Amino acid sequence: MIGIWGKGLLGSRQGRLFGAMLGVGLTIGLIVAVGSFTVAASGTMTARAVADVPVDWQIELVPGADAAAVNEALDKAVKRRALATVGYASVAGFAARTGQTVQNTGAGKVIGVPPGYRETFPHQIQLLLGTWDGALIAQQTAANLHVGVGDPVSIERLGVGPTQVTVAGIVSLPNADSMFQAIGMPKGAGPQAPPDNVLLLPLAQWHALFDPQTSVRPDSVRSQLHVGLTHSGLARDPAQAYLQVERMANNFEARVAGSALVGNNLAARLEGARADALYARVLFLFLGVPGIVLAALFTLAVATSGLARRRREEALLRTRGASGTQILKLAGIEAGVIGAGGVLAGWGLAALAALAWWEISTFTAALAWVVTAAVAGLLLAACGILLPAWRDARQSTVAAARGSGLRAPAPLWQRLYVDIALLGLSAIVFWLIAGTGYQVVVAPEGVPQTAVHYDAFLAPLGLWIGAGLLVMRLMRLGLERGREGLARLLAPLAGGLAPVVAAALARQKDLIARGVALVTLAFAFAVSIAVFNTTYRAQALVDAQLTNGADVTVTGSTGAPPAQLLQGLAALPGVAAAEPMMHRYAYVGTDLQDMYGIDPARIARATPMSDAYFAGMSAREALARLAARPDAVLVSEETAQTFELQPGDLLNVRLQSAVDHKYHVVPFHYVGIAREFPTAPRDSFLVANASYMGRMTGTDAAEVVLLRTRGDPEAVAAGARKLAAPLPGIQVSTLGETRRLIGSSLTSVDLRGLTALELGFAVLMIAGVTGLILLLGLAERRRSFTILAALGAKPAQLGAFLWSEALVIVGAGAASGAAIGFAVAEVLVKLLSGVFDPPPEALSIPWPYLITVAVAAVACTAAAVRVMLALARKPDPLALRRE
Amino acid sequence: MTTPLVEAVGVGRSFRLGGQVIEALLPASFEVFPGDRIALMGPSGSGKSTLLHLMADLDVPSTGRLTWPALGASGRLRPGRIGMVFQASSLLPMLDLAENVALPLLLQGHTQEARERALQALDAVGLGSLADKLPEELSGGQAQRVGLARALVGRPKLILADEPTGQLDHATARHVLDALLAALEATDAALIVATHDAEIGARLRSVWYLSHGSLHSELEVEPAT
Ligand SMILES: Nc1ncnc2c1ncn2[C@@H]1O[C@H](COP(=O)(O)OP(=O)(O)OP(=O)(O)O)[C@@H](O)[C@H]1O
Ligand SMILES: [Mg+2]
Repeated sequence: MIGIWGKGLLGSRQGRLFGAMLGVGLTIGLIVAVGSFTVAASGTMTARAVADVPVDWQIELVPGADAAAVNEALDKAVKRRALATVGYASVAGFAARTGQTVQNTGAGKVIGVPPGYRETFPHQIQLLLGTWDGALIAQQTAANLHVGVGDPVSIERLGVGPTQVTVAGIVSLPNADSMFQAIGMPKGAGPQAPPDNVLLLPLAQWHALFDPQTSVRPDSVRSQLHVGLTHSGLARDPAQAYLQVERMANNFEARVAGSALVGNNLAARLEGARADALYARVLFLFLGVPGIVLAALFTLAVATSGLARRRREEALLRTRGASGTQILKLAGIEAGVIGAGGVLAGWGLAALAALAWWEISTFTAALAWVVTAAVAGLLLAACGILLPAWRDARQSTVAAARGSGLRAPAPLWQRLYVDIALLGLSAIVFWLIAGTGYQVVVAPEGVPQTAVHYDAFLAPLGLWIGAGLLVMRLMRLGLERGREGLARLLAPLAGGLAPVVAAALARQKDLIARGVALVTLAFAFAVSIAVFNTTYRAQALVDAQLTNGADVTVTGSTGAPPAQLLQGLAALPGVAAAEPMMHRYAYVGTDLQDMYGIDPARIARATPMSDAYFAGMSAREALARLAARPDAVLVSEETAQTFELQPGDLLNVRLQSAVDHKYHVVPFHYVGIAREFPTAPRDSFLVANASYMGRMTGTDAAEVVLLRTRGDPEAVAAGARKLAAPLPGIQVSTLGETRRLIGSSLTSVDLRGLTALELGFAVLMIAGVTGLILLLGLAERRRSFTILAALGAKPAQLGAFLWSEALVIVGAGAASGAAIGFAVAEVLVKLLSGVFDPPPEALSIPWPYLITVAVAAVACTAAAVRVMLALARKPDPLALRRE
Repeated sequence: MTTPLVEAVGVGRSFRLGGQVIEALLPASFEVFPGDRIALMGPSGSGKSTLLHLMADLDVPSTGRLTWPALGASGRLRPGRIGMVFQASSLLPMLDLAENVALPLLLQGHTQEARERALQALDAVGLGSLADKLPEELSGGQAQRVGLARALVGRPKLILADEPTGQLDHATARHVLDALLAALEATDAALIVATHDAEIGARLRSVWYLSHGSLHSELEVEPAT
């Protein structure tokens, strides 16, 4: 008997068996893929986070400390790859003479740089002009002193007389914040602004000039050890790696007993990466789990689509004398075949995905996931096949197995209003989290603990499932009550048969509603993932645009402004618009800020002005306010708060004059808050009218030119570089480069692998529910269609029945699924606002993908109907002779 | 001379099952004329259903030539010309009885009077009161009577009934046959009934015997009174 059953398994029910295996396989594959993705992503996150930390540790020696002992302790505490001793000396200021006038700066720092430093720590110092051999002066200091390469600069030492050096090169210090950090400050003391004026000397020369100062003012001179650590031993997860590095630093500090303090740049970077890693995990959960749920539902739907037939078979077996245990054993074999096949298929799929998107090693690293997934798959098969068989064996009689369930009562969830409860729960969670500005991921600085509000996940999940169930309820209700309406709706398709078709559909409301719900969930999943993904990418583009300023950005200095090339740049092939923008430095009180001078009427030609850049007003209004008043200024939120500014208030700012190179007070009037601006730093900056700034500083030099391109930005950038070659210190950057930089930096979680996987999977699911599930549902009633054909129904008339059902299921499912998908995407974007910088103004709609999905749905529906039509058209006389 | 409804010349049907060939119907020649009342008798597996399905244009003969001179070409016979009562229950489970019976009319495009005529047909088999029940709520015998009503509703010229009284007790079987014959009384429709029931055989004008696939005799008997 088992042999016959086995034949049946592999024979007439291939479709269902294969479908169930596919479902189990997809579920498993997705679990493993999401798992190994999480492992891979958080692994690369540590690697990425630490890759470009310029100096891992800056160890400051307390005056009088024994350098040799500290070195020894360091060797014991850590594995390092690089070490350099750097001198830091505070000075009263710098001075330089230009023509008749003498420029003076405020207090500054002189750094002693050991030989080989720039090879060991290549990101610390960037040479803009001149050579590396000799005194290097920071760009801003050079501007303040109005000196260039070859000019003498006087250093005003503390306690000993001034001394003079000659400028060999002009440099920028991209990591000034960490380079000049105050080491040993209590945590949470707030960041210290780096010095405005910096000079760098070769260490030997530095010793020669500052050893005298050390003996007079030992408090003003320090030595630091700059350490590059070996990163290979770090944990893959940033949170763990952070704790690890913190412990290493504590261990070292304990060894040296207070004679040296660690500025732990590596830990600081990892601390920041923790939140990203947690967001990555949240994203995998939010985006991955619905897919897994969907795959599981798909499997159950496939398995139970054979339930009625299986019941009949089991009843038949029982009438032939099979015992309950025998029948259960048979069902167990079927579940085992499906489970085992599914596990193999799932592992195969996951391995393929791992090969396509990550290294295969992550697959093995995610071993726990691989095993969990297999267990889940076997459970799923058992739930789909074994559980119903067991329930039947216990409860139903042979007679009950005959029932078609056409007049069954409403399911339990519907009587308990589970759908409404889920939607309510979703709304409450959403309101609690989004409404109160609660962050889903909490990783506060300086606190080793992190928290993730996984419960926030209830909002999208509850919405998705609750709405899916609600659709099911409404479908049942609508089919029951709206039979006449449905008949009218189907009249163009079914003609005179429409009332009978409508009646048939209405009586099968459970089956139809289940089909609609499944299609709804699949569509909602696809749409929400796709919309979230495009919105996320669009925001990454906005982020890159903000950082780079425009498609192509040409940056120079006040002395050599690229705006003089404006004509040439605008004429480059592929340039759609070129706009100059001033970039100066301004003192607001004692705070040195970046200040941008624009033409509010023209700036938007070269770079998009997003509403998100401004607070409490649209971009259009912000620009209008600038245009309306020549001395208008937009300031950062922080500045507005510090100075308690009200619109129209006077704000005095000190700007450097081109006439005497000194900073002079320039009056501005506050008109609003700018949160972000192209090329601007994230903290404090000012935006004003270029014309007014030019008038007040005596130069209308624009230090930046923003280019909007029509064609290939890289080609435009190449042209711009050629054009700018004669001008010293001009830099050309493109959106693409910046995007790559941002994409690999920590501010964004790299979602490509996961979303590609999910988008592909969603199309498969849609194909599955519109193709396979529809076909299996129809096949379950193949006998009815055969009878229709035997009664003499023409193919078109059979088609009326089949197409009507397909239309109702797929049409209603796709429409409600799309609506729910957009709602879920909206919820996801709101809840995960922390991964967006800046937050998006609106959802982006992925038309090509949505069209793909729609085409797949239509094609699979048509295929399913056609297959069924072909099957039913040939009346099978055997079926009419027996049941 | 009247044109025959069915004309068979050497019609046979064999099935290939695995490597085996089953001769379900050995080549036979016969004609069916308007007004015929034929009982098709034979043991189980002798080929009765096979023969009916061939005549109903539901199946194609393996050998020989089968035509419907007075009815039309193959493919256009159902639901208008030929009404068939199937051996197994053949009602659509998701349609109520009235809708089930009305189906042949609806398929022919007679949507206007369909329901009215379906109710009449149900009345004729004594089930008028169950018009809005679902097939799953019927007994096997009731279901067969609905099948009969559905075969008659389109007033076909040829009615092929495959053991229509197989599941009925004798009294009901007689009652159903009475109803069937009464419905056909005034018409020139032909009726062929496959049956094991000798009593039914006795009430029809002719009896065809089938054994092991061979239609070996045609007996003319006097209709019972
Ligand atoms: N589609 C088929 N494939 C294979 N064999 C078939 C098929 N249809 C009928 N047969 C075989 O043809 C023979 C005649 O079957 P048929 O159903 O015509 O008998 P029957 O006289 O109607 O029997 P019963 O009185 O039990 O209904 C049987 O041996 C049957 O197994
Ligand atoms: Mg038979």
